[in-house]
Parts: sequence; structure tokens; C-alpha cells
Amino acid sequence: MMSDKMKQDPRLPDETFEPFEESRRIPLPVYWIAIALAIWGVIMLVETSHSTQVADKERAAQNAQDVTATAPVTAEPAAAQGHALFTANCATCHGDLGAGSTGAVPPLAKSDLVQAGGAEAVVRIALRGIDGPIAVNGVTYNGHMPNFASALDDKQLAAISSHVATSFAGAKDGIEPTKVAELRKADAGKDPWAGGAELASAITGLPAQPARPAPAPAMAATQSADVETLVKTGAGYIWACASCHGDKGQGMETTPRLAGLPAAYIAKQLHDFQQGTRFNDSMAYVAKALSEEQIQALAAHYAVMRAPSTARPSLKGDLARGEQIAREGDWSIGVPACFTCHGPSGFGVAPDFPALAAQHPAYTARQLAMWAGGSRHNSPLGLMAGIGKALNDVDRRAVADYLASLAPVPATPKTELAAIDASIPVSEGDAQ
Amino acid sequence: MQITETLGLLLALSFIISLLALTILIWAIANKQVHTPDADDARTIFTPGEGAEIDEPNKPHHFDTERSGIDRVSAGPVMWLIAAAVFWLIFGSLHGLAASLELHLPDLMSGSAQMTFGRMRTVHLNSVAYGWASQAGLAAVFWIIPRIFHTRLRLVGLVKLGFVLWNIGVAAGVMAIANGWTDGLEWLEIPWQIDIVLALGAACFVAPLIATAKHREVHHIYVSGWYFLAAILWFPVLFIVANIPGVHHGVEQATMNWWYAHNVLGLWLTPLGVGTAYYFIPKIIGKPIYSYAVSLVGFWALALFYSQVGIHHLIGGPVPTWLVTLSVVHSVMMFVPVIAVAINQHVTVARNLWALKESMPLRFIWFGALSYTAASFQGSIEALRSVNTITHFTHYTVGHAHLGAYAFVSLVLMGAIYQIVPRATGKYFPFPRLIAWHFWLNVIGFAVYFLSLTIGGVLQGLAQLDATKPFADSVILLKPYLEGRSLGGGLMTLGHVLLAINLIALGFTKKTRETETDNMVAAE
Repeated sequence: MMSDKMKQDPRLPDETFEPFEESRRIPLPVYWIAIALAIWGVIMLVETSHSTQVADKERAAQNAQDVTATAPVTAEPAAAQGHALFTANCATCHGDLGAGSTGAVPPLAKSDLVQAGGAEAVVRIALRGIDGPIAVNGVTYNGHMPNFASALDDKQLAAISSHVATSFAGAKDGIEPTKVAELRKADAGKDPWAGGAELASAITGLPAQPARPAPAPAMAATQSADVETLVKTGAGYIWACASCHGDKGQGMETTPRLAGLPAAYIAKQLHDFQQGTRFNDSMAYVAKALSEEQIQALAAHYAVMRAPSTARPSLKGDLARGEQIAREGDWSIGVPACFTCHGPSGFGVAPDFPALAAQHPAYTARQLAMWAGGSRHNSPLGLMAGIGKALNDVDRRAVADYLASLAPVPATPKTELAAIDASIPVSEGDAQ
Repeated sequence: MQITETLGLLLALSFIISLLALTILIWAIANKQVHTPDADDARTIFTPGEGAEIDEPNKPHHFDTERSGIDRVSAGPVMWLIAAAVFWLIFGSLHGLAASLELHLPDLMSGSAQMTFGRMRTVHLNSVAYGWASQAGLAAVFWIIPRIFHTRLRLVGLVKLGFVLWNIGVAAGVMAIANGWTDGLEWLEIPWQIDIVLALGAACFVAPLIATAKHREVHHIYVSGWYFLAAILWFPVLFIVANIPGVHHGVEQATMNWWYAHNVLGLWLTPLGVGTAYYFIPKIIGKPIYSYAVSLVGFWALALFYSQVGIHHLIGGPVPTWLVTLSVVHSVMMFVPVIAVAINQHVTVARNLWALKESMPLRFIWFGALSYTAASFQGSIEALRSVNTITHFTHYTVGHAHLGAYAFVSLVLMGAIYQIVPRATGKYFPFPRLIAWHFWLNVIGFAVYFLSLTIGGVLQGLAQLDATKPFADSVILLKPYLEGRSLGGGLMTLGHVLLAINLIALGFTKKTRETETDNMVAAE
């Protein structure tokens, strides 16, 4: 028992001692610490309230600007804006001066079509895109133009179209955002113009246009029905693609947009998921359950899908920096322009280079980070690993946000798809 | 926008007003506008009819609680509360340990819904917070309040009713949670229907304490009394406001949730722990607390600044920035009361280190008091946005929570139990060596637990911030640290079992102590 061996310490109090406090002054350091913390606290609160006010003012100013968007676009600042917007969105294909590209991209400068249709024709083409033969200045082009309905708002479209009509084609008047809004409402949800013929039927006075091509032969009915089931409801252990990628293949957040990606690219990714050369637990699970026929059918299904862009810059990236990386690259850090390989405006170059335009920024930034960290490593020749490592987090968000602001890729026409399919070996071994 | 500005201004004012109040308090102390306790005590001690005067006419600050019959009245309810508290401690520890094991052995108990991590962890939290810490704290309150007020506990029947209601409430709440019936908010999981029972139980605890305080026979209220009386008034307000269903929705509900969850620590468990340490440290050592003025600053700074602290849990969330900033500022201001308490308690212990060797209860309480200082400093720093960026959503926060609720509150209360039980029952603990084993198991177990989670938590936070790493990397790297956590938790649980063994064995021994006046400090 402890009481036996324990000699009472004489300092121990008896049980009747009552705790009390002595009368001592507060030590001086307590004052200093309290004063220092109080000052810090007030500064913190003032700083926060200041930055909140600044943010409020910026928001108010932005709202005010949106309200004044109905001002006539022929005003001088609007014209300058139209030029800037044209350079950012159109010049990659149509050239800075709207000269086009011989045999491939129709000119806008002195274009008989723009002269006849005016800014309104430009707006209507930009809103729906083109997918079919179109004649400009007597030359017939195989027209593939994306629609810009999701990438540009009424004000921006008005500025660009006015710029094209007045500066390039000598029209007197531009077009106002309110009119663009009306046209947008009328054309909402429609397919791209099936070439100049359909356009001429809607806008009177256009120069003669080539006849519409015959519709592409429909896929075998049974096969497309199978794919439809796979996409919409899944099969057995395979989840419905649409449950994550959306019913239009539009994607969301870190789930990529699939609509319009090259068929060969989609097939390669599914093969990589199957073989484990690209990691994603959900996709590996799905891909392993897919047969080779199903992979090819799904790739073809998404390659011809048309969906408006649902991607918007959302990572607070610096769009100017993003545009610089995408269009020019940054050789000071050894990064080539995205568009060098992924095509003008990031539309993608089949079969290896997927479209980047209108891809969700969270997905793009995440993939770039994964290339950098090495957890994605399935690009041809390891191209993307070096680029991913060279970009820092700020750059990744900047370029992802910029790419999200672009118009979606024009879908590959079904006839062309058949040609590509034939030229790509589909056996698993070759799909690297 | 106008409304948020007004609200922001009002809340910013709460900081300014708190600052002003603290300044006035300090000015008043510095200019001797506040009566010093010695002057007050000199007056009360010579009041005729007081025990102190009869027993020890020449010794101020002495009062025989045994002979005045005060302890005999409180002993019953206090022992019941301690017994129930230790039951919930063991119950909660086992659930905590199981939840910890499930983090690195995920298939261990995957058979039934009741055994899954989500429910195990929640049962652990509710049983240790409401079953263990609250009841052990109340035991200390019911023991100490009559002693420092020199009057017996009033309305003892009500305390017993409260005890029954409270334990029914905790048991029903825990069963509801285990079976999937919860309110779905952290710290507020017990369904509100069951909360009614708990609220009634709390009322039964509060009324006797207020009645006892009204009958006090001292003029000066010792610092423990402020903390205890404040806590028993704050807790019912917090508990009832937070649990009324259908009042708060969406972001506002999240704000209310963290207002409650942090205040239940700072305005309920903390005052219970600090008040208990404030009483037992000088009591065991036999020397007064360093300074009355400093204890005033400590108490009022806690009362003024703590209530806004909780919203720092929502840094980065969709709540107004000014609300979060205000909370960060208040969190950092908590340095003031914590430094004050640290000066008062640590100086008293540091000048009497010999007592740590003599008294096991003091070791527990001293370790708890040190942990209070450490947990509060860590909490203030953790609330800064720059630190929170790394530690939020990681196991670091879990380590911090246990530094406060375990190493501080629980160890102080365990020390209080070892100190109170022999005096309440008149029996020695039959296995005094187990007390030392309990202490070292808890200290070493907690060290392993805390270091694992702190280091693992920082690494986890850095891995989560690195966008080039897949999320799974931040999970995989944690495995050894989670195993360390289970090891530490196992040692702590073992210590609790030793406490339970000693208590049960004590229940079966015969009364060994003749009188309370032989100093009974359980020592090695």
C-alpha cells in the first residue's frame, strides 16, 4: 500500500487549504501581446473590407457595362474591339486581313457573299457553323466552320460581324447586339448550314451556290442501335457513357467533352484504359468490359457528334497568357504553341491530336498536371510529358481557361470518318 | 448587398466592442478599480458563523469541507457521474479505436452498416463528448462548486434526475446514430427528438448549481467558479439554439453548425477543464495562483472573443469573406486568454515541481494544462488562411482536436477523478501503480497518436495541393501514419481500462480511510 512506504512531504498542504489568487500586476509582455494582436486584427478586418469593396465595385462596373451593350457598334471603341475579337477568334483560319487560304478557307475580304449578305449573313454563319460546300467569289470550298454561338455573346458577335462587313467587304452599316439576339433565338439548336445552298435559301441575294451533297449513307441500323443503348443506358457491367459524359457528349468539370474528338483518338484512349497505359479507375472498369467492335462503334459515334460548348473559363486563369501559350507557345520555358499540333484554334488534327477547343478547363488543367506528374504518360513520343512539366500551375489554368473559351470543333462528317477509319489500323497492338 | 454590408459592420463591431471591453478591464485592473481578492477575503473570513473562522481562526484561506458536511452531500451525485463518465469513456474509446483501424484495414468490419466508419466515428465523438467529457466535467463542477462557495449542494434530487435523463439521452442518441438515424450535422448528429431529453437533463444540472451559487457563503468567487457558472449558462444556449429543427438552412446552417461545434469545445468543455485545473493545481500544491488580475483577463478575454471562432472551419467555403476573416481574427485573439491562463497555472506548477513527484492527479492535471496552452496556440495558428490551406481536410485537424479534447480536457478530468474519488468515497485506490501506468500509457499513446496525425496530415495536405499528383497518392502515403494513430489510440484505450479496473476494484473494497484530513495524494 502506498501509504506505508510514502513519507509525507512536509511541503504538502493539509486538506483544508483553499485555492486563492495572489494580488499581482499583469506582466508587461501580456499588454504588448494584446496590443499587437489587436492592431493586427484591425488591419486584417480593414484589408478584407477594402478588398470586398473593390470586388463589389468591379462587379457593379461590369453589370453597368452589360447594360450599355445596346450602344451602336459603329462607335469607334466597338470597331477596335471587333478587330481584336476577329484576331483572337477568326484570324487563325481566315487570316488577319481576312484573305482566307487558297483552296481551303474562303476569303472574307472583298467576299461577294459578305457583300451581298452583309453583317447579318456573317452573324448567321457564325451562329450555326457550316458543314457543306460553299462558293465564294466563284470558287467552291469544302466548308467546315465551327459554330460560335456558345463561345461569343451577342455583343462580341455584333462587333466581329460589323468589323468583317465594314472593314473587309465595304458595307456601310454593322449590326447591333439586339439584332444578333433575335437571330440567335431564331437559329437556336439548329444544325450547321448544310453548305451554301441552305444558306442561300435563307438569305436572299447571295451569289450562286453549289447544290447540296447527297446525305452520307447511314450506318448499319443494328449497329447504331447497339451504340445508342450503350451510350444511353449501358449494358451489363458497362455504365451508360452519358451518365458522366452527358447525353450530347458534352462532358462536365473533369469529365471530358467527347463530341467531335477524332475517332482514332477515342479508340486509342479506350485501348489504353483497357491495357492500363492510361489510369482512371472508372474508365478502366468500363473499357475492360468493351469489345473491340463496341470501341470502334463508340469512337465513331462520338466523332460525328455535334454539341454546343458547355465549357466556360472557370479556373481564374489569365486568358491573355493562355492565348499566348496556345497560339505562340512560350520558348523561354520550352513550350510550343498548342495549335502547332492540335490544329488552328485547337480544332484537333485526326487521328492523333484531339481537339482542345471547348474542352472543360478542369479536365484540361488536370490532364496537364497529370502529364507533369507522370500519372498520364500515353502520348505519342511522350510529347505531352515535357510540355506538362514546363507549365506551372498558373500557366496550366491560364491555357485551360483560354481553350475553354473557344468555339467547339466542327464535327467530322460521316463520309470523311469512313475514310479515316479505313486508314487506321484498329488492332490493339498498333493503337499506341 | 446592403444587408451583408450592415451585417458585416455589426460583426466587425463585435470585435471592436470586445477589444474595448478588454481595454477597459485591463485599465480598471491597472488602476486598482477592481477589488483584490485578499481585501475581500479579509472581510469575509471574519464574518461570524463561517466554517473557516471556527476551524482555523488564524489561517486565512483554509476551510474544512469534510467537517462542514459539504462533501458528503455532493459525493453521491459526483460518484454516479464519474461512474457513467468512465463507462462512456471506455465505450467511446473502443469505437474510436475501431474507426481508426477501419481507416487502414477497410474490410475489417464491413459486414454491417452499424460497424462502418461513418457511424463508428460518429458514435465515438458523441459518446466521448456528451457521455465522457461532459459528465466527468459536471462531476468536477458538482464537487468543486459547493467547496468554493462554502455551502452544500442544493436540489440534489434534481441532479439525480438530470443524471438519469442525460444518460438515457446519450444512450438513445448513440443507438440512433449507430442505426442510421441522425440530424446529419457534425457534433449535432443526435436526432433533435432525443436532444429534448438531453436539454431537460441539462436543465436539471443547471438549476441546482444556480441554487447553490445563490446560497454561497463567500464574498469573492474563486476563478474556477466563474468558468463553471459561465459554462453552465453558455452550454444550454448553444445546445438549444443549434438543435431547434427547421430554423437554419443551407450555408447559414453550415455557419450555425461550426458556431456550435467550436463553441461546445471553447465555451463548454474548455471552461470545465480550465476551471478544474484552476482549482486542483493550487489545492494539491498548497500554494496560491499567480495573479488575480491575470485570471480576470484570461476569463473575460475567453468570454469576449471565443464565440466567433468557429467559422474558421469554413475558410474557402461559400460564406462571406468578412465573416471568415472576423473568425480568423477572433481565433488569433485567443492568444490573450490562453497566455493569461498559462501564466497563472504554469508558474504555480513550475515553482513547485516537487509536487509532480508526489501527486499522480497533479501529473494528469499539469499535463492537461500544458496541452491546453499547446492546443490553443496551435488552433490560433491553424485558423490563419495560409496554414489552413494545407491543414484543412487532413488528419492534422484530427490531431489538433484530440490535443484539445483529449490531452487537455480528458487528462485534466482523469486527474480530477483520481483526486476526487478517494475523498468522495473515503477509500484508497486499490492499485496505485496502475495510476502511474495509466498516466504513461496515455502520455506515450497520445504522443504517438498526435505526431502520426500531425506529420501525416501535413504530408497529406501538401500532396492534395500538388495538382500533378493523383488524389490516391495523398491517401496511400497516409497508411503508416494511420497505423501509428491506431497504435497510439490502442495505448490510450488501455490506459482507460486501467482507470476502470481501479474504479471497479475500489467499489469492492472496504472503507479504509478514517478521516479526510490525512493528505491523500495518490502517488507512485
